[in-house]
Amino acid sequence: MDARGDGVDCGADEEFGHCITCSDEGVPMCIVALDEERGLALCETEAGARSSVEILLVAPVLVGDSVLVHAGTALRKIEEVVK
Amino acid sequence: MKYVDEYRDAELGSVLAAEIATTVDPDRHYKIMEVCGGHTHSIYKYGVDDLLPDNVELVHGPGCPVCVIPMGRVDDGIALAHQENVIFTCFGDMMRVPGSEGSLLDAKAEGADIRMVYSPLDALRIARSNPDRDVIFFAIGFETTAPSTALTLMRARSEGITNFYAMCNHVTILPPLRALLESPDLRLDGFIGPGHVCTVVGAKPFEFIPRDYGTPLVVSGFEPLDLLQSVLQIVRQLGEGRCEVENQYSRLVPYDGNPAAMKVMAEVFELRPHFEWRGLGFISQSGLKLSEGYADLDAERRFSVPGIRVADPKACQCGEVLKGVIKPWECKVFGTACTPERPIGTCMVSSEGACAAYYNFGRFAREREVV
Repeated sequence: MDARGDGVDCGADEEFGHCITCSDEGVPMCIVALDEERGLALCETEAGARSSVEILLVAPVLVGDSVLVHAGTALRKIEEVVK
Repeated sequence: MKYVDEYRDAELGSVLAAEIATTVDPDRHYKIMEVCGGHTHSIYKYGVDDLLPDNVELVHGPGCPVCVIPMGRVDDGIALAHQENVIFTCFGDMMRVPGSEGSLLDAKAEGADIRMVYSPLDALRIARSNPDRDVIFFAIGFETTAPSTALTLMRARSEGITNFYAMCNHVTILPPLRALLESPDLRLDGFIGPGHVCTVVGAKPFEFIPRDYGTPLVVSGFEPLDLLQSVLQIVRQLGEGRCEVENQYSRLVPYDGNPAAMKVMAEVFELRPHFEWRGLGFISQSGLKLSEGYADLDAERRFSVPGIRVADPKACQCGEVLKGVIKPWECKVFGTACTPERPIGTCMVSSEGACAAYYNFGRFAREREVV
């Protein structure tokens, strides 16, 4: 991750321990697998961490979609901005 | 990562910073509040404030949910954790927040079964695998995490899980902003609006801020370019004599929010008549509790809690920091008696807290020289 914009991979989020927050942090995650019957998806962060995520509020979604996750719930599908 | 890397581009950042510098009126001082603790964290992590002209000052708002929790609520949580046969679950940072007689982490050391979770779903999983224990989730956060708690309680109900409860500390962002705007301590020129809260409630509920208080608000993303763009939009509005809500974070925020999220919140929660905020006091209709339909899952009804109001330690100035009246380094105990390892106040606990952000990213030394 080139968080400093200087071409150096500083692994910012891990380095600063930002993962243990109050979970009020929005994390962009990619959907890896869907369990539509239970309204859950297996999602992965950029760093490769996987967790179960509620997808009821963003349905319908597909494997490969990016979603913004807060406290284990996907709040929005991340879409291209059409200008 | 897509949608992230392109918003951290250093060259584009310089272009935006130059544009801000040419747009501001050199004879004017701009005081802009970033409402959300996530913004505070990003500003100091990426040094966004270093790119701004000297007359553009960023002040930190009350938008870190851990920071605004009063000590009495921590004590109530600890009392619940000590109940017989209870597994108490909460987010990581919450465990270190000091109550009047120690933190949840101290209570854990004394033998209480307190477990850290990353989401309410994790807490529900613990309830599912411990059917003979009562599992309480310490629910905290603004409109960003409230839908998550609501969905989990609905899931507990639909799965017939009867040993799962929530201690609800959810708060809403609009009442404290109104309280700040009514406060004579602080005169603000603009707001950087809380982007992720707006993914749920939309930008529309913030329209009263420019309309009633004459203060522009730009809903902003959390990457450094998002923040610079938002500052530029605010100073442009002020320069052009406009005052409105603008949405810089349109890649995620629909102007009207997420109706599905608001619907589940309306089903599971109702407004408390008033709720205490650290540093801001009691604010009416600013906190959520479980609705009558979910009262049987309310930990505060199922178990008894002391519910005693506890005053903050005298040395702690979190209240002034949360209102943007003082900068973290102006607090008497900042970096000495109060550090992230041994916090006195909440703002030093959470990584989104203004004091922790200053402390961790070494931003206080330069500021101190200015004084």
